[in-house]
Amino acid sequence: MELGATLSTLLLLAWLLPLASFGAIVLFGPRMGRAGKAAGYVATGAILAGVVLSLFALGFWIGEHGLGESLHGDEHAEVKAGEEADHHGHRHDDGHAKKFYSGDWYTLAEFGGLRLTIGYYIDALTVVMFCMVTLIATCIHFYAMGYMHEELEDVTDHEVTLANGEHLRRPGRYHRFFQYLSLFCFSMLGIVVAGNIAMTFIFWELVGICSYFLIGFYIERKTASTAANKAFIVNRVGDFGMIIGLMAIFGSLGTFHYEEIFAQVRPQEIYTPTETIEKHHELTVPDGMVWAEATERAGEIVMDHAGQEYGLENAAAQMAAEANEYRDQGFGYTLLIIAGLGIFCGCMGKSAQFPLHVWLPDAMEGPTPVSALVHSATMVAAGVFLTARFFPVFTPEVLLVIAIVGTVTLFMAATIAITATDIKRVLAYSTLSQLGYMMFALGVGGWVAGVLHLITHAFFKSLLFMCSGSVIHAVHSNEMTDMGGLLKKMPITAYTMLVGCLAIIGAGIPLVIGLSGYYSKDAILAQAYVFGESNGSLLFLFVIAAGGAAITAFYMFRLWFMTFLGEPRDKHRFDHAHESPKVMWIPLVVLSCFAVFVATPPITDLFNPTAAPLVRMLEQAVPNGVAAGGASGGIVIPAEADSHEHTVHVLAGFIAFGTAMSGLLIACCVYWWRLINPDEVRAMFAPIYRFLLNKWWFDELYDKLLVRPTLYIGRFIAWIDRGLIDWLIDNIARWARGFSDGFDRAIDRTLVDGTVNWVARQTHAVGLALRGVQTGRIRQYVVLIVVGTVTMFVIAFGLSK
Amino acid sequence: MEINWHSLYFLLFASIACIFALAVVFTANVVRMAFYLMLSLAATAGLFFLAGADFVGAMQLVLYVGGTLVLLVFGVMLTAQSPFISIRTGGGDWVLAAIVGGLFLAVLIPAAVQSGASHENFPKNVAASEEDAVSADTAEEPASEPTAARIGLALLGAPADGSKGGSGYLLPFEIISIHLLVVLVGAAYLARPKRRATPEKNVAEES
Amino acid sequence: MNLLTDPVTISHYLIVGSVMFVAGAVCMATKRNALGVLMGIELVLNGANINFVAFGSEILARNPHYRLGLDGQIIALFVIVLAAAEAAVALAIVLNFYNNHATVDVDRADELKG
Repeated sequence: MELGATLSTLLLLAWLLPLASFGAIVLFGPRMGRAGKAAGYVATGAILAGVVLSLFALGFWIGEHGLGESLHGDEHAEVKAGEEADHHGHRHDDGHAKKFYSGDWYTLAEFGGLRLTIGYYIDALTVVMFCMVTLIATCIHFYAMGYMHEELEDVTDHEVTLANGEHLRRPGRYHRFFQYLSLFCFSMLGIVVAGNIAMTFIFWELVGICSYFLIGFYIERKTASTAANKAFIVNRVGDFGMIIGLMAIFGSLGTFHYEEIFAQVRPQEIYTPTETIEKHHELTVPDGMVWAEATERAGEIVMDHAGQEYGLENAAAQMAAEANEYRDQGFGYTLLIIAGLGIFCGCMGKSAQFPLHVWLPDAMEGPTPVSALVHSATMVAAGVFLTARFFPVFTPEVLLVIAIVGTVTLFMAATIAITATDIKRVLAYSTLSQLGYMMFALGVGGWVAGVLHLITHAFFKSLLFMCSGSVIHAVHSNEMTDMGGLLKKMPITAYTMLVGCLAIIGAGIPLVIGLSGYYSKDAILAQAYVFGESNGSLLFLFVIAAGGAAITAFYMFRLWFMTFLGEPRDKHRFDHAHESPKVMWIPLVVLSCFAVFVATPPITDLFNPTAAPLVRMLEQAVPNGVAAGGASGGIVIPAEADSHEHTVHVLAGFIAFGTAMSGLLIACCVYWWRLINPDEVRAMFAPIYRFLLNKWWFDELYDKLLVRPTLYIGRFIAWIDRGLIDWLIDNIARWARGFSDGFDRAIDRTLVDGTVNWVARQTHAVGLALRGVQTGRIRQYVVLIVVGTVTMFVIAFGLSK
Repeated sequence: MEINWHSLYFLLFASIACIFALAVVFTANVVRMAFYLMLSLAATAGLFFLAGADFVGAMQLVLYVGGTLVLLVFGVMLTAQSPFISIRTGGGDWVLAAIVGGLFLAVLIPAAVQSGASHENFPKNVAASEEDAVSADTAEEPASEPTAARIGLALLGAPADGSKGGSGYLLPFEIISIHLLVVLVGAAYLARPKRRATPEKNVAEES
Repeated sequence: MNLLTDPVTISHYLIVGSVMFVAGAVCMATKRNALGVLMGIELVLNGANINFVAFGSEILARNPHYRLGLDGQIIALFVIVLAAAEAAVALAIVLNFYNNHATVDVDRADELKG
């Protein structure tokens, strides 16, 4: 079978299996096993099958396309004969065009030009993402089977107090958890495999609702349900922008399908009646957008040809001929920017970028497996994934916005993480910060760097969350102030968490080898440096990113030291702490292996980071024309290959290492060797401390700025509804009643009844009167007979005369 | 003056009938009423004879005077308690009756006269006028053959000559017979003696 | 005088009949004694009989188209018979009434008064 069909079938199956699991658990959940225990097996089985299928797909892909070229190594790129000098390293021959397979599985609807389909767009990125998502999801499903075991019986929720002062006692919801997890996996894989932006949007929303269900799993807790609402609403705000972007694209280009959009935005060549212009997949404003902005002229052309035979075709030909002029004049560029910004808005919401970041820390109210799967590795990565997917559409201006947003996010989140004491909150802010890194990487032109960081981050962040879940499970508290000294009690958890921490700070020997995070962070900083060099004024972004790495190292090790080293701060909890069961620590070990080795280059080419299989796969997935970078409006997006140059590589590597080590050192000083007392520092920088502790006052700002006015408007409208409209309706009802009463009295009772009664009375009177005729006296009757006879005679004979 | 004896007898009988009829009206005593009625009806019988209806006249005397009136006399005798023998009617009633009767008479007499006149003058077609002329010329008493036989034959269903009913009067005859039977039974029932109320008292009386 | 010499025509009989009829009607209207009323009825019937016989007589009814002939006499016969029957029944009713109410005053028989 042809590779495209094979891949599409494999991925379709892998995608739909979680849906089948969801359906089965919805229908039969409570009856599966004892108290629904088998629901866990069903869900895990489905996703495990998904892993197998994804790995097969990966195998098939590699079998057909290989891993892709490794680039650069330590020597400069070879400039092959016939290549253009300004294309760095990428071979530019006919075989280079990015390989992908796209198609439609099912057409939902077709209205005129609008085609809504369920389809796929499979390239190397899709396959890699599938493997990553299913793998992490499988580990987490196993972990969750252990973590959620208390839901198999009735649960007494100590965080919910009822009106009578008691804690809530409710039946367990084990199967429901796995039902939601399965649905989430289905939705996430749907986003990954989607072939058109409409389908992406559908699954975007689905993922959002799954997140809502999962965050609000402990629904009786006010904090949890509020957090679920917050997540969904903030996501929706982002989706508003996404819809605008969608509309911009569809309105001007007339299609939702990725391949068609990309073909129009990054054409290889464009045609005019006189010549064919080679474009080499450079970012070009598509004709649709040009004419969308130059509507006046477009209208004129159509009107000129109206009424002619083949008028529309002639008009189209003329428009094609004139398009280039208008494109050169800059028509349509704004629309392209709007499209890009709109889509990025959706990504901001989903990936919790500033200013839509407020929901992610509160999302930690959900159970830890949820935080591990959804809010660290997959759902929040969906935003980055879509940004990477839609990269060809982004103009340099949009990319600059992305970069700046990413920078702000990474810095802000890192600073807040310094002061947080809830272990999951620290990890949440860490996630925010790392997402900022990913967006930043994409924004400065490092497509592969950003996606690489996405994948490595998925592994070590989910690992970190799961370890924290183990700790929370053992200690029954989220607060690090209740922990300490757990290294002896939970060694496996401690060491796997150590691996995760090292990975996230990018530990490694520069230029030699490192954990997975080392490679991805390195790549990001290198690209940032090149970007800073190309755009002199923007070097500060690189500085901030590097500073962020230092802060990351600090707060991660602060977390590790506070949890596992030192004296136990709560004796009681410490005594009860124990290592987690096998079903929970085996996934930790598996993930830690991945966290170490997922981005490592093979032994043969150990010192060349771009030789790593993962990196090579991702290089295959780079969209057409992206690798060459771009420039517009004074912003230069450097080609990614520039960051692989030796000097940059060395500089970035050492700076990354230096910042990470400095952060680690400070953390050791404060929390391990106790050389600096954190309380003194806190006291000295009290205002800053308070600012950071309150999360930069964002929640309060949003409350005053957005929430209160909305509630106020809501109350006003409610007043209109209740006070005005209801008053009106009630009174209309009352007036109608009064009117009908009066009407009834006047017309019905007085007139109609009166008439009828009057008639009856008259009849009675007549009857009474006529009664007098019946005297009962026979003689009178005789007289009357005679009178009657006489009268008849008179009439008869009188008339005849 | 040639006296038409027919007319004289007519006048005699007619005046007796009318005067005694009026006497019935004006007298208050019921016994006298019965008697005057008897005389009036007898005179009527005479009128019948004069009109050539001998059988009917005979039957008038036999049935009406000798039967019906006797019945009425029985009734009078049965109920002739002293207070009931003469019951006076009020003056108002008399006036009303007089007016009504007068009106009635005023309507009937012109009708009578006129129908008699038109009777003579009706259709002058050839056959009729010839017959009329023939019979008008003879102005003597026609030969009065006895009508009894003819009536008897008619009642038995044989169409008698001169009668206008083609099939005779057998059916009405039968009906009348049944009618009389029914009347007999009914009258007997109506006038039966009523039992007294209490059977115990009856028993006590008998014992 | 002309009554004595001229032949009697049908009109005379009819007048007699009318007088008797009216007399009977007035009798019915004025008599309070039930038997008086019955007598009035007899007079009425007789008046009608005279009419019938007059119209059926060959002597009086000259016009053969109007003459009832034998029918008149037969009808008169039937009327007599019916009058007898009716008198019997009426008398039975009156006697019943007399037994129940101890009076023959028809003015007392006003239970049909509405």
